[in-house]
Amino acid sequence: MWWKTTSVLILIYVIIAGIGVPLKPGIDRVAPLSSKAGQSIELQVFGYNSTFSETASEKIRVWLEFDSLHAIQSGKVDVKNDTTLLASFQIPARLPQNKQSVLLNVIVDHPTNGVSLLPAALEVLADTAVNTDAGNWNEHPISQLHVIKDFSYPYRNVIYETIRNTYFHVPMWFALMFMFIASVYYSIQYLRNPVAENDRRAVAFTETGLLFGFLGLVTGMLWAHYAWGKAWSNDIKQLMTAVALLVYLAYFILRASFDEPEKGARLAAVYNIFAFSSLVPLLYIIPRMFASLHPGATGNPAFGSEDLDNTMRLVFYPSIIGFTMLGVWMAQIRYRSLRLRDRLADID
Amino acid sequence: MNFFSQFFTLLKKEFIIEFRQRYAISGIVLYVFSMVFVVYVASISIKGQAQVWNILFWLIVLFAGINAVVKSFVQESGARQLYYYQLVDPSTLVLAKVTYNTLLLLVLNLLAYGTFSLVAGNPVKDLGLFALVILLGSIGFAIAFTFISSIAAKANNSATLVAILSFPVILPILLTLLRLSSIALRVIQDTAFQKDIINLLAIDGILIALTFVLFPYIWRD
Repeated sequence: MWWKTTSVLILIYVIIAGIGVPLKPGIDRVAPLSSKAGQSIELQVFGYNSTFSETASEKIRVWLEFDSLHAIQSGKVDVKNDTTLLASFQIPARLPQNKQSVLLNVIVDHPTNGVSLLPAALEVLADTAVNTDAGNWNEHPISQLHVIKDFSYPYRNVIYETIRNTYFHVPMWFALMFMFIASVYYSIQYLRNPVAENDRRAVAFTETGLLFGFLGLVTGMLWAHYAWGKAWSNDIKQLMTAVALLVYLAYFILRASFDEPEKGARLAAVYNIFAFSSLVPLLYIIPRMFASLHPGATGNPAFGSEDLDNTMRLVFYPSIIGFTMLGVWMAQIRYRSLRLRDRLADID
Repeated sequence: MNFFSQFFTLLKKEFIIEFRQRYAISGIVLYVFSMVFVVYVASISIKGQAQVWNILFWLIVLFAGINAVVKSFVQESGARQLYYYQLVDPSTLVLAKVTYNTLLLLVLNLLAYGTFSLVAGNPVKDLGLFALVILLGSIGFAIAFTFISSIAAKANNSATLVAILSFPVILPILLTLLRLSSIALRVIQDTAFQKDIINLLAIDGILIALTFVLFPYIWRD
């Protein structure tokens, strides 16, 4: 069948592109981490995936940015190697805000690597002893940045290379939702027309959905291990997902606790509709009522448009389609095996 | 018979059955008392923390509720169910059961509140809100437990089944109740708690609609 081949081809593409495509160059860290107003500093910038020495060092520009109006450009830039450069700054005597300290972003603009940013990289403390107004925060505003458009994934601090998990973790939940919608559809069909076929399809889709749920939980835990520091941190979304999986495990316990299969199928169909209606608050409503480590939680969609760029979309959307089609295929095979089991037992 | 006369007859029947089998309701009341004392004695060392009081109170309410409601379908024999099947509309029957269980849980919850305050102190600052939370909790628990116990009553080991089927489903209600009652206890400050009340009413609305639509399929044997 054409769609089975398509799903395999799509998933091969997703795995190759998801693992193989490099990240855009970015700034890993800077040293030192703090400085004082009015001082001149040598800032060491450590790049990730960067090729600083590809161009002459005069063409590389480095800024310390407070906001769009307040930024200072470095004087001399000295490239040590591909991933290390030294930028010297003369920090103005007064801070852009009347505070004890401000946090500055480091921006590096490179003709071939493009522009990269490390937010809140350098802390500058106010110097109350100095009373001059030397220095200016908007002498060299940030301009003429090199935006490189190529097939690579955005570099994000904290998650780094694990951004690739977007193509495997998130589609699991999409696939789970599609499987459970299909399962509820066949459960409703079973109540309207109680033939064993509808029940078997509902069971096959629920089992596949549950498998995607476990895979989503495991890929999420792997991701959390690297991004949040712990595989399980009792994040509200982790907890509610675990509860949602318990709801569906109870579905199988319920089915198994009847002597007559038809009665079990009917009550399991009723419970499946009930379980699905509790899945929506568990996965989409409660997690928004509490603070969460998940991106875009507490009030926003669980997955914001700012989390994806155009390159990622080219892998992410095919991944959802591929995994959903694979799920339908798996459910179909499971359905056939259930039908064979029933025929062997002379039930159908 | 029209809907209302059926409904009130069935409701009256619930009261009569309860009155005839007084040992069942006495058992539940005693269960609440024992649980309050056990919980109090077990948590004596962390006395005085309002949030702990809050959590323990709702756990008492949860377990008392599940025990009180689970009997509503189990106690009636299959023959009597068949008799109802010929006489009344299933949706009316389940609505009468839900109404009766709501009233029962309301009484039990108030009783639990009274005895638990007696032994463990009463940290409730906003009594009006707390009473509303108890009412909403009774409605939510009654609907969910009635529905689940009607499924579980058909199965072989219904007691375990009620717990594993209903606890995950009850969680959204329980979390919202805990949040609202923390506000009533002034453990957390939140002026926009109307949103939580609307959430709770929405969950209750979905549950009662599902019960109303799906019960005829459960009932038919």
